[in-house]
Amino acid sequence: MKLLHVVGARPNFPKLAPLSRQARAVGIDQIVVHTGQHYDDAMSASFFRDLGLRPPDINLDVGSATHAVQTARVMERFEPVLLQHRPDWTVVYGDVNSTLAATLVASKLGFRVAHVEAGVRSGDRSMPEEINRIVTDRLADLLLTPSRTADRTLRAEGEPDDEIMFVGNVMVDALLYAVQRARTIGFRSQLGLSTAPITVTLHRPSNVDSASRLGAIMSALRDVAAKRPVIFPAHPRTRAQLAAHQMDVGQVRLIDPVSYLEMVDLVEGSHAVITDSGGLQVESTALGVPCLTVRDTTEWPETIECGANRLVPDPADLVDAIASITRLDDAPRPEGWDGMAAVRAVDCLRTH
Amino acid sequence: MGWLPYARWTACAHTDPVHLLHVVGARPNLPKLAPVYRAAARRAGVTQTVVHTGQHYDDALFASLLADLALPEPDINLGVGSASHAVQTARILERLEPIVTNARPDWVVIYGDVNSTAAAAVVAAKLGVRSAHVEAGLRSGDRTMPEEINRIVADRLASLLLTPSRDADEALRAEGEPECEIAFVGNVMIDSLFEALPRARALRRPAGHVLVTLHRPSNVDDRSRLSSLVAALRDVAAERPVVFPVHPRTRDRLQNVAVGGVQTVEPVGYLEMVALMDGAHAVITDSGGVQEETTALGVPCFTVRETTERPVTVTSGTNRLVHDPANLPGLVRDATRPSVLPMIEGWDGRAGERVVDALLADDLP
Repeated sequence: MKLLHVVGARPNFPKLAPLSRQARAVGIDQIVVHTGQHYDDAMSASFFRDLGLRPPDINLDVGSATHAVQTARVMERFEPVLLQHRPDWTVVYGDVNSTLAATLVASKLGFRVAHVEAGVRSGDRSMPEEINRIVTDRLADLLLTPSRTADRTLRAEGEPDDEIMFVGNVMVDALLYAVQRARTIGFRSQLGLSTAPITVTLHRPSNVDSASRLGAIMSALRDVAAKRPVIFPAHPRTRAQLAAHQMDVGQVRLIDPVSYLEMVDLVEGSHAVITDSGGLQVESTALGVPCLTVRDTTEWPETIECGANRLVPDPADLVDAIASITRLDDAPRPEGWDGMAAVRAVDCLRTH
Repeated sequence: MGWLPYARWTACAHTDPVHLLHVVGARPNLPKLAPVYRAAARRAGVTQTVVHTGQHYDDALFASLLADLALPEPDINLGVGSASHAVQTARILERLEPIVTNARPDWVVIYGDVNSTAAAAVVAAKLGVRSAHVEAGLRSGDRTMPEEINRIVADRLASLLLTPSRDADEALRAEGEPECEIAFVGNVMIDSLFEALPRARALRRPAGHVLVTLHRPSNVDDRSRLSSLVAALRDVAAERPVVFPVHPRTRDRLQNVAVGGVQTVEPVGYLEMVALMDGAHAVITDSGGVQEETTALGVPCFTVRETTERPVTVTSGTNRLVHDPANLPGLVRDATRPSVLPMIEGWDGRAGERVVDALLADDLP
């Protein structure tokens, strides 16, 4: 049996890592194709090492471009790779352009596609990720879901029961694999923090592309930072926006993007997290760290149901929201967020 | 009397023009575009742009189709040409995106099930522009057909699903598409057929032949399958004239196959094709459109496939699925036209008008 994994952007790798480790453990042949949709220095050899991953076998180097152009380049370059390797499963992850592009190519050529993290929906089609998710799920032959909510969503979309397999959250597998090592690197002490900080990440166009929206968020963060340290590892596009509009960051500490292990250490030691990332909502929930999500919608409703996450669409509410949170050390984790999701996923791939 | 013109003037002043950007890519899209384009052209306040992706690049045939359907030259030709599915789709994505970005139309209108249909749906969805799919909800249930993948993607992303038959509505509901996105409009291809029929009959072509069209990979790419189909056609040709306009992709594959008395001819224009269908004793095909057109004309049709995305042509029309070519000679010999034409809801020559009604209705505040 042969698996061909397709990943394209940084958030895909913590999903790939536990699956590829498990597949290796049970002796399945595999090839990792990195489309190169997203590439930066943080995605170096050390990033792969942190996740227990070998570097990708094939890099398609598509680089950044508009959605259509990027999707197009992945399609053109992936087709010959797929025809050369002819895997039993093309395994795609999450909701990036490469996920959609590889799925389109494989389904046209009659190759079976398995989608890891299927059935996740924000309900907001203005998010490009939502478009990638719904097309991928419609075409994929095996829908490996992270939650029972995702199962219900897929059934409501008419997907046949035998294609839907609840396996749990592979991102949590990667997190639990990394958390012990993350504690040993001492990233928090390098930052010289005396109290548990608030960790912030923002990268969505809806938050960072509009100067007035970003200004309102920064204003709230300045107020938060007056009471407690705020650490903001800034995505390059966010940093560029802040500079372009000469925004006052006050006592907010902007730092360069951090490694996977550094982020795990930072989040685990945080008082709370403020984010618009999907992955960080999951990771903070799994670590029992309260999360405030600066968006109208979430594709991870179980993080809200278990009490760990809260949507704060209006940045003006952030200061009060931070003041009213308590850390939930014994919060129940959602079903299947147990570090065994990849084991179940690989079982499904072998038996389906 | 003074208030009436004033009321009209205010109504006009508050109605912004509606811009439809039609995307077509292959010849079978044109008989679907034509009735929509004509109906929209008759409405006030509608502007239209036709983008031809150039997926089919046989210019002479494309031009004759435009003439037969009274369509103008496309405004924009993307010239993508032929290539693998992935490469062709990729080129359409790249070349269409800047056009939709600049035009920001009220609707991207997509047709049928070709690569351009799926690619345009992806481009529009990513740019937050609404798309409307004409001929939504058709399903063969066979995902090895590339057309099925295109249909599924287009329907998943389009904001308005314009269906040709009630079974298409049901298929979309079963896929969880919201009721408010599904609009039954009927079959636009039948609009074009009825519009062309008097002109086709005026050509006074001979009748009584058996018409054949074959182009699907499942029939023409497999040598043994193609040989058994041609063997059956030779038997049919022993009894009646068999006319076989050969699709370019089929021509190469027929090179070393003895066709016997089967008359292979060059691909024909739209009016010629209507005349050939209208006068036929029976039709043997693997095309989707021909299954519908023969039902509308009351001509017996034998579809050499295991599935059809147009089941209404079997349940209410003159179509029959025949997987084993050996059965063709007997079936063709016994074929008779129904005494009354099948009546299928929405196959009435007014579907294009209903498409435009749906596109404009949704635009009201």
